[in-house]
Amino acid sequence: MVLRIEARWEIPYVHSAGEHATKFFEALKEKRILGVKCPKCERVLVPPRAFCERCYVDTDEWVEVKDEGVIETVTINYARFTGLPEPPYAVGIVKLDGADTGMLAYLGGVDLSDWKKAHEKLNVGTRVKAVWKGKPEGRITDILYFRPVEE
Amino acid sequence: MKVGIVGIGMTPFGVHEEPFYNIAYEAAKKALEDAEIERHELDNVVLGGYDVSVGRTISNMYTAPAAGGYLKDEIRVSDDALYALALAYMRIKSGIFDVAMVLGYGHCSETPMELVELLTLDPLFHRDTGLSYQMSYAMQSYAYKMKYGVEDEVAAEVVVKDRKRASKYEYAHVREEVTVDDVLSSQMSVFPLRELELPPWSDGCVALILAEETMAKRINPEPIWVEGLGWNTENYHLGSRDLAELSSTRKAAQMAYKMAGCDAKSVEAAEIMDLTPYHHLMALEALGFAEDGRGEELIQSDFNANSSGGALCTNAHGTTGLFLAASLALQIRNEIDMGISHAVSGYAAQNSVVAILGV
Amino acid sequence: MKRVAVVGVGQTNFRTRRDDKTHPELTREAVSRGLEHAGITMDDVDAFVFGTMDPFDGINCPDRWSSTAAGLGKPFMKISTGGTTGLTTGIAAYQHVASGLFEVVVAVCTQRVGENVDAQPVLNTAVDPIYERHSGVGAISVAAIQATVHMQKYGTTEEQMAWVSVKDHENALKNPYAHIQKKIGVEDVLSSPVVSSPLKLYECCPRSDGSVAIVFASEEKAEQMRDNPAWVIAESSISDSYFVGDRPDLAVWDSLSIAGRRLYRLAGIDDPKKDIDVAELYSPFTIQEILELEALGFADKGEGARLAEEGVTFIDGDMPTNPSGGVLCTNPIGATGLVRLGEASLQVMGEASNQVDGAEVALAHAWGGTLQFHALMLVSSHKKLRR
Repeated sequence: MVLRIEARWEIPYVHSAGEHATKFFEALKEKRILGVKCPKCERVLVPPRAFCERCYVDTDEWVEVKDEGVIETVTINYARFTGLPEPPYAVGIVKLDGADTGMLAYLGGVDLSDWKKAHEKLNVGTRVKAVWKGKPEGRITDILYFRPVEE
Repeated sequence: MKVGIVGIGMTPFGVHEEPFYNIAYEAAKKALEDAEIERHELDNVVLGGYDVSVGRTISNMYTAPAAGGYLKDEIRVSDDALYALALAYMRIKSGIFDVAMVLGYGHCSETPMELVELLTLDPLFHRDTGLSYQMSYAMQSYAYKMKYGVEDEVAAEVVVKDRKRASKYEYAHVREEVTVDDVLSSQMSVFPLRELELPPWSDGCVALILAEETMAKRINPEPIWVEGLGWNTENYHLGSRDLAELSSTRKAAQMAYKMAGCDAKSVEAAEIMDLTPYHHLMALEALGFAEDGRGEELIQSDFNANSSGGALCTNAHGTTGLFLAASLALQIRNEIDMGISHAVSGYAAQNSVVAILGV
Repeated sequence: MKRVAVVGVGQTNFRTRRDDKTHPELTREAVSRGLEHAGITMDDVDAFVFGTMDPFDGINCPDRWSSTAAGLGKPFMKISTGGTTGLTTGIAAYQHVASGLFEVVVAVCTQRVGENVDAQPVLNTAVDPIYERHSGVGAISVAAIQATVHMQKYGTTEEQMAWVSVKDHENALKNPYAHIQKKIGVEDVLSSPVVSSPLKLYECCPRSDGSVAIVFASEEKAEQMRDNPAWVIAESSISDSYFVGDRPDLAVWDSLSIAGRRLYRLAGIDDPKKDIDVAELYSPFTIQEILELEALGFADKGEGARLAEEGVTFIDGDMPTNPSGGVLCTNPIGATGLVRLGEASLQVMGEASNQVDGAEVALAHAWGGTLQFHALMLVSSHKKLRR
């Protein structure tokens, strides 16, 4: 019978978003989603970042993108994991209108109990729109999830 | 084939508002500008830095693109970034690569660093003793102090000298000068170390462009050659070591001198990772500048140590060693011909890396 | 460039928890086995390179503790690059010898995922806390989103993906070190609970404790040490940008294609299907083996899903893939990449537990981050690919 010792890591962090990302979060308070446009390759990058990795230049040109776009891919999670939300929940990559890169986001507004049926409503190519928090706080969670746009 | 430093980029060190990856981008950009080359002329990126201090496992996911690594070959040493210089050297020396971006990142302001280091203690024997990182360096300082009878004033003098040099160095973090009295009257913090005898926790990044000889000469007519490298590791169990000496530093230095084909006499300057003033003295001895116990004699001389102010003035945990090496490289660019730079990591300087640079 | 070979491989039994040993003791188990296989002792080793992911093992920088079993008093370096760690550790050790600075270097990786009650909280810290950590993406979901698009774009079916799992489990039965040793059929996979759609439980890897050590030697030493070293022909690795949403098309692992082509150029490979005899790929989830085979040129785009179903990647097929049982059956995360290299090396040495007949050229692969990193190494029983 070996000795087992329980331990727990509780390390507090205060993560700085930096000046650049702060602009993005300020805009969320107004229910606006911003990206940055690279001066060289002209891609509109969402989430925004301080520099374009490919062209290696500062990205200071801010562009507003729509809070609506297209699902690039999706998955529905049914397993319980520590530190992650209660299942079932759907996660995917959404390319917002005006952006050249996709954004990781929650997807919802659909019954997730049967994944095959859910995939008919949340599929690659489905048009979705953001559902916003009533009173946005300037955090990424102001966007509650993206839901399919009614045709 | 020689391997040389052709570009140097450093951010100022301090407490920064920007996240570590944006700071890394700044340092890398500066190094490319200094070398006058573009990102696409790099063929690989070698990173050095820790995960837990920034609260992100696989932190190199963020620093690789920041260092210019987009779609390039990249690798990361998870230890002081002076190791990254050593690995980059081997990658070039082997002929596999020609031009490397070596980037070190150190970011201490997002979390209590003592806790991060405390968690390196195994949960079976050491963690419950509450032995902090500083305490391990303090114990080592005390062992050395008692063995050789080093007076408090001597330790204070080391701090005074480091601070004086940092006051003239634009990249250093803590730059206020102090007197011996200031040091001796500061609060006893971790016996026998007073508050002013402990290093700061800093944020900042360092980038070096390292190149194979023929490429190096095309990029920069006066590369700073990596003449010697050495690294070594001691026993993790503190009780199994003679804490009064830095034996991993000694072995690392031996390896470096052998590679460089010289000894301490050829070295004009040293950049020492002195996390305490006693470690400054111990390192001088381990690097071969003084006999055991006689490091203090160098403090009274005009021996050229720590033009950067050393770790007592700048300690971006994860890149302090590379900061010191870069500072040495700047000295070699401007004044001297050969110098030695040093880094330690782990509790009570368990690990050591030594680099000898020259023209 | 100095020619380098793998001359010894040591592995521990991979299990959910190795309660019987501490971190350094587990490291020692692998290192001793590796040294024994190489026919050398600790004194013969010039340097160590240690790889592990922080902080899965419940201790930050466990290398400091484990170095007592792997490099005390010697040059010792720690590599950590996410999922690719195992292979980049091997790559770094290879580079130690290729540089001419050292003659015999041991790469060792130890990971004790079982120390965690649940490894997910650690994995959660990989995801950017500024923009993405709220998004509920676990490790499995990252692969699941690849599966969704691949199915949509190329018509890959759940059944085709299940065949990858059947193959890996069948292979693992022959590997005494493998974690999961269980015979399963397609129906077992398809009826297992959906974890993150469309991936089901049996399409996902376990989390394993264990250690692996590989001894690298210079050409001169290697020839003294054994008749059948596994010569390192080439290696390559690549880093993409961080954000998962940046990838132009998740149904195509284009960054792996780029790394693969670089490797093939260096190695002198004209057609991987013909020139490579066996591959140990990092596929903790069925869909990833399919994506990897396509990206590496073993199958055309969209055709990868047929390979397992048609028996091509089984042990007696034309392109045996993961004869060790792969990552799907054994995943000590930071060590996994080095296990791939170990198994690939044993194949070309002719000493693998599930040996592919006449294997002379083997490929080892690992990926890491949120689909960001890849590492590759090619080994052969010959010093050069073209004789």
